[in-house]
Amino acid sequence: MNPHRLRTIIGIELRQRVRSVGWYVLLGIFAAILLGVMVLSLAAFSLWSGGNEWFFSLVIMLVLLLVLLVSPTLSGSAVNGDRDGATLAPVQVTLATTTEIVIGKFLAAWISGLAFLVVAVPFLIVSTFAGALNPGVIVSSLGILILEVGIVAAIGVGFSAVVARPIFSVASTYLLVAALTIGTLLAFGLGGAALRTPQVTVSRDVDWNAVPTGCDPGAPSPGAGCPTYDELECVESRSYGETPRFDRVWWLLAANPFVILADATPPTYRDGYPSDLFSQIAAGVRLAQIEPDPAPRYDACADPAGSAYDYPTTEEQLAGTAPSWFVGLLLQAVVAGGLLWWGISRTRTPAKRLPPGTRIA
Amino acid sequence: MDAGIEVAGVRRSFGSVQAVRQVTFTAAAGRVTGLVGPNGSGKTTLMLMLASLLRPDDGELRIGGIDPVADPAGVRRVLGWMPDSLGAWPSLTAREVLVATAQLYDLSRDAARSRADELLELVDLTALAAAPARVLSRGQKQRLALARALVHDPRVLLLDEPASGLDPQARIALRVLLRRLAAEGRTILMSSHVLSELEEVVDDAVFLVDGRTVAGDRIAAAATRVRVWRVRLATDSSRSVEAARGDIAAALGRSGDEIGLDRRDALVPFADDAGAVAGLRALVGAGLPVVEFAPAVGDLEHAFLDLRSESAPPPPPPGAPAQGPTAPAVPDDRDDEGSRA
Repeated sequence: MNPHRLRTIIGIELRQRVRSVGWYVLLGIFAAILLGVMVLSLAAFSLWSGGNEWFFSLVIMLVLLLVLLVSPTLSGSAVNGDRDGATLAPVQVTLATTTEIVIGKFLAAWISGLAFLVVAVPFLIVSTFAGALNPGVIVSSLGILILEVGIVAAIGVGFSAVVARPIFSVASTYLLVAALTIGTLLAFGLGGAALRTPQVTVSRDVDWNAVPTGCDPGAPSPGAGCPTYDELECVESRSYGETPRFDRVWWLLAANPFVILADATPPTYRDGYPSDLFSQIAAGVRLAQIEPDPAPRYDACADPAGSAYDYPTTEEQLAGTAPSWFVGLLLQAVVAGGLLWWGISRTRTPAKRLPPGTRIA
Repeated sequence: MDAGIEVAGVRRSFGSVQAVRQVTFTAAAGRVTGLVGPNGSGKTTLMLMLASLLRPDDGELRIGGIDPVADPAGVRRVLGWMPDSLGAWPSLTAREVLVATAQLYDLSRDAARSRADELLELVDLTALAAAPARVLSRGQKQRLALARALVHDPRVLLLDEPASGLDPQARIALRVLLRRLAAEGRTILMSSHVLSELEEVVDDAVFLVDGRTVAGDRIAAAATRVRVWRVRLATDSSRSVEAARGDIAAALGRSGDEIGLDRRDALVPFADDAGAVAGLRALVGAGLPVVEFAPAVGDLEHAFLDLRSESAPPPPPPGAPAQGPTAPAVPDDRDDEGSRA
């Protein structure tokens, strides 16, 4: 790849974009939505002094949502749109290689997506401080947003090189983004439930059948003829069932951009429990990594009143689980990179096969 | 022949459509070669294969001795291609289009700028250098596309319909430019539907019918076949064309039916040049005021129409008066030009 030619291709793409009115309209609408949400939420939360972490982490999620919605339009017709406009072939006959053309378009789409993040940065900063979030949120969310814009740009450019018609490639890009955001959630839920494994639950408890009617062994002073817990015999019962295996499909959820954003953000816990939306989502996906016990035991006899039983907090349970965000990013990068590679091989000249219904020039 | 075009047995199909079936020809350096053929005869497909954009199914291509399939980058270095549909990035200015293209040919920024200015001057677009390519007229876009094809000073030029959309002055300028480029030793292959125009600039012609190049002997045979000549008499407007036709028929000793009419001219078929010479002599000898006596169609057009009629059954009877410039084949093609973009 020749940097001079790559830069020229990026320059051609960006120059066209900054000269189109539609581009500024889109940026304006993007800023207006964020501003509206921000003003409303500041007004609403001036009532309370705490607890708004949850809401402001939602605002940052909204930035990601808007970016995911805008990015496909910036990249989804990069190659086939040029073919339709007959501007692709004149570039292909120059010394620019197919790789340079496709990668140049990908980088240009990425850079133009970053313009939206520049607009979003003030909102990220205000949200973080208004919500008293961990300041690391600004850096981590910005980093993830930058990478997500790049992933969507690569998907869009890849599809635009593979699919013949611009509307279908933009639609395909949207569908893949939907698959990553909603599809992963569905696949995670259904997949986990479909991959069930047998589970034997062993419970030990006092022999309730031995308790005469009208007696309550837990009562402070059992009546005459009523046994206390200590007098009752312990019996073991087994129930056979199946348990969903989310530990086998958690990586699906990890590929969700919102999960990546949440998981990459430094978690905050209050009393061992997540204190904002990011930490909550991150905890959810990490808990899913834990393999369910094939034979859980519950022993009620050991502590019949259940008073001393100490459940582990979320924070404690998560010790030893893997951060899922880079697994998710890696999965996304593989998909996006694969599409780019496919796009490059479909655009290569001299062309052997043409996408049906297209002319080269 | 260091920088010519050599094509041997090239074939290319798109699915079940055989666009190019059997094409063999050479275009020599220092000459302008015309590529002539009806719509759908495979001209553009052939151009795309030569431009290293499309891989032939079979056959050999050489541009200046380089195989575009094996070494596309090598071919692109020596080749300038002007497509039949100009796509210019809509919001870039004419100068920016040329600068960007030059940079894609590895010219430095400064070299690209000065080259762009040179070319704008050459194709007479200096006044529009800062105008977005979107607002250029079709003819201006054609000139810009030509300038773009010349950006890296290529030794071989492929021009697909370079004259379409040009005004008469620009056509003359194009002709002069192409002759100059050829005189500098470049190989130029150009296609056009406007055969009369092609005739003014080409040295050689390659005929393409149904995806096949037509062999030289068939072209030679076509050229010697019956040809229609246009005869105009200097008569006052009160005399009808019918009367003129009668005079001409009488002078040539033919029946009036053999002679066709096209507005105020008579169209007379002659078997060969000798027949035409004898005919002119007879007309002048009979005292008719002949002001124009010329082939009704140019050499290329004559050969083209003849080859077409051969392939299209049933062939018209020899000497049929219908073969003139108003015959449907050529005007049809001209009408189609707009929809090819």
